[in-house]
Amino acid sequence: MSTSSGVGTSSGAGRALVAVYGLFALAATARAVVQLSTKFSEAPLAYLLSALAGVVYLVATFTLARDTPPARRVAAAAITAELVGVLTVGTVSIIDPQTFPRATVWSAYGIGYGFVPLVLPVLGLLWLRRSRQTPDAG
Amino acid sequence: MIPTLAYSVVGLTGVAALWGLLTAAVNRAPGRAQLLFAAGVELVVVVQSVIGFVGLAGGFSPAEPATTVGYLIGILVLIPAAWLWANVERTRFSGLVLAVAAFGVLAMTLRLLVLWVPA
Repeated sequence: MSTSSGVGTSSGAGRALVAVYGLFALAATARAVVQLSTKFSEAPLAYLLSALAGVVYLVATFTLARDTPPARRVAAAAITAELVGVLTVGTVSIIDPQTFPRATVWSAYGIGYGFVPLVLPVLGLLWLRRSRQTPDAG
Repeated sequence: MIPTLAYSVVGLTGVAALWGLLTAAVNRAPGRAQLLFAAGVELVVVVQSVIGFVGLAGGFSPAEPATTVGYLIGILVLIPAAWLWANVERTRFSGLVLAVAAFGVLAMTLRLLVLWVPA
């Protein structure tokens, strides 16, 4: 428990993780911009959630890449929000499809993206723990 | 969009993705040939996007114009961004970074082929 891996969030495997986050930041943000600017009235809630997902992915990408203690805290908050988001939206989209008549990146737990949106926050939180720079007290 | 060119992009990005996974699996950083290949793939992607935009300017109107434009721009940035990110710290994970970008371009190109239908 007292050993530190000495690896920051943007080093080693973290570089690949940041790359995946970057890909989703681009995909979700671009999708939200198109949806909000061309057909917002069709499904306002779904499209606002797309935008929220885009922002969460952008924040996670940049804070994981930056790898300073404050950035790690923001990354942890963003990735936690991401996990809550994909679980909530995923569940609601299956139980009550009327709520989200148009797909978001988190619909059905990210089925449209090979369930990567469901796996990514779990990997992100595990990586934040694993790459911790300060040794554990216990 | 020219289907033959699009499928070439799909094939080339598929090779780039597998190559990245392979060097990661054998614990090697991407070599010069691999990086040059990625740059070459990007050139073909640029040609494809330019042809797409020429088609749009020439009067072709797809069913979802905004989404189509988004994809035509989006596929341009992935490989250069991954190339730079992979080169800052060269490890086995650089190959994974290249593979992620290549796979992204592959998926987006397949999506573009579906989107490229008249309104």
